[in-house]
Amino acid sequence: MNTRTVLCIDEEGAVADTAEALSADSTLDPITRTTVAEASEAITEEPVACVVTEYDLADGSGLDVVDTLRAERPQTPCVLYTDVRPGEVDTASFEELIVEYVSKDLPDATEQLAFVVEDLIDHSAQVGFLRPDNEESRLEALSAYDVDELPIEDSFDRLTDLIASHFDIEVAFVGLIEEDEEDFLACSGADWDSLTREDTICTHSMLQEDVMVVEDVQADSRFSENEQLRTLGIRSYAGANMTTPDGHVIGQVCALDNEPRTFSEPERADLQRFAETAMEILELRQSLLSARTETEVDV
Amino acid sequence: MSVTPGGFDTGTELGVIDDGTSILLTGDDESALREVFYRLVAAGDDEESVVLATNDRGRVVTRELDGVAAGAGDRACVLACEGRASGDRIAAVDDPGDLTTLGLELSALVADARQQADRLRVGVFLCSSLCAAADDTRSVYRFLNSNFLSHLRRNEAVGICAIDTSADIGANVDSVVSGMETSFGARIDIVESGPGGTTVAVSGLPSVDGEVELSL
Repeated sequence: MNTRTVLCIDEEGAVADTAEALSADSTLDPITRTTVAEASEAITEEPVACVVTEYDLADGSGLDVVDTLRAERPQTPCVLYTDVRPGEVDTASFEELIVEYVSKDLPDATEQLAFVVEDLIDHSAQVGFLRPDNEESRLEALSAYDVDELPIEDSFDRLTDLIASHFDIEVAFVGLIEEDEEDFLACSGADWDSLTREDTICTHSMLQEDVMVVEDVQADSRFSENEQLRTLGIRSYAGANMTTPDGHVIGQVCALDNEPRTFSEPERADLQRFAETAMEILELRQSLLSARTETEVDV
Repeated sequence: MSVTPGGFDTGTELGVIDDGTSILLTGDDESALREVFYRLVAAGDDEESVVLATNDRGRVVTRELDGVAAGAGDRACVLACEGRASGDRIAAVDDPGDLTTLGLELSALVADARQQADRLRVGVFLCSSLCAAADDTRSVYRFLNSNFLSHLRRNEAVGICAIDTSADIGANVDSVVSGMETSFGARIDIVESGPGGTTVAVSGLPSVDGEVELSL
């Protein structure tokens, strides 16, 4: 059975009670810290499945911990478990951290905490992007492609070079959208491996039926505060869905530039055709691999 | 954590809504949005409402609820971004851009409401105001995931999230709505409203699909 590590932060004497409340669930493995400094170090060192923190801590507040968490592991969920009422929490420097709240004063507080922690982990329920309601079957459809085993690199490299040349843009890529990140199978004009999903424009684009165009990333409030996009120099974006034969969107084919630009209707149609071509390559390679595997088994 | 199954009666042509349904309510006429929103979020006799009101005082919210069903205002916990807190049932936040406090307060109100009744209706009016007030739209999505959609799932509550599509949210509102739509179980879009009634386009509800005229 897989256990999920939960980082519990509270004052000495209280933190053991928090850990004990979570220990009732055999799938949760609580570890404890008693200060902001210790908690921040733990968060930086290795990923945890969830963080549970008291508000009042010896060297700061629980929101200082969340601030570190959002910087280091933005998609990890966090619960403020405290007897401090929400109105007494000082959020002046933390207006957009977003945490779950469980009051220690609830008659069934420990049960509620365990229930909420498990729910947050199971549903990745504190991420900064919206998931399609068929996310589970979409991820199953994606996992059916043995991407690491398929000889697709050269094909996709040629395709992304062709896309970049066709649109006269800086970067073109083929990316698959996994549960927590986007993995780039090929990227012309940049050397990108993967990005945290909530930092990508693709996680928005995959929810659109048509090609999504962002003419100026800096003028769109969904992306203008995204430091990752700024660091990568992404100023304009067009993304088309890679859709499996049974209708699941598993990835994107994208055209990016380092300055604002428009994409005409014919250009959008071209990008969609490139995405369909990428999907066909993936599909054909997968069919070939499956056929070979079946043949080897028969022999 | 169990609740009595049976759905939530809307008292309208929309019929009964299944437990746990999340509804995205959209339109460019705020008064029509308001009318449909309060009709859906008003608690029945054995229910509680939890309403986040970005542009109204708490007393305005309880009056709107009472206008739908006598006593519905007394069966509501309100988080208002205008006016002051009042008693245990109306909490207030100064700034709709302070999504951290909104999330903490909303979670606390849902927990309080669950002490009163198992069956909850939770509403946000208007989510477009949150989008406009937030610096980073990822925070709004995190808020919706953590402090709205999660409560619906955990409590099998019905939830209504209203968006004024005429609002300036700093992004293409149609693109934002079509993205959000995929995360919600149902969509109600106000097509037309006037003295004769309100016509809505509905998808994702069990008893209605397509356009229907509501007699509100």
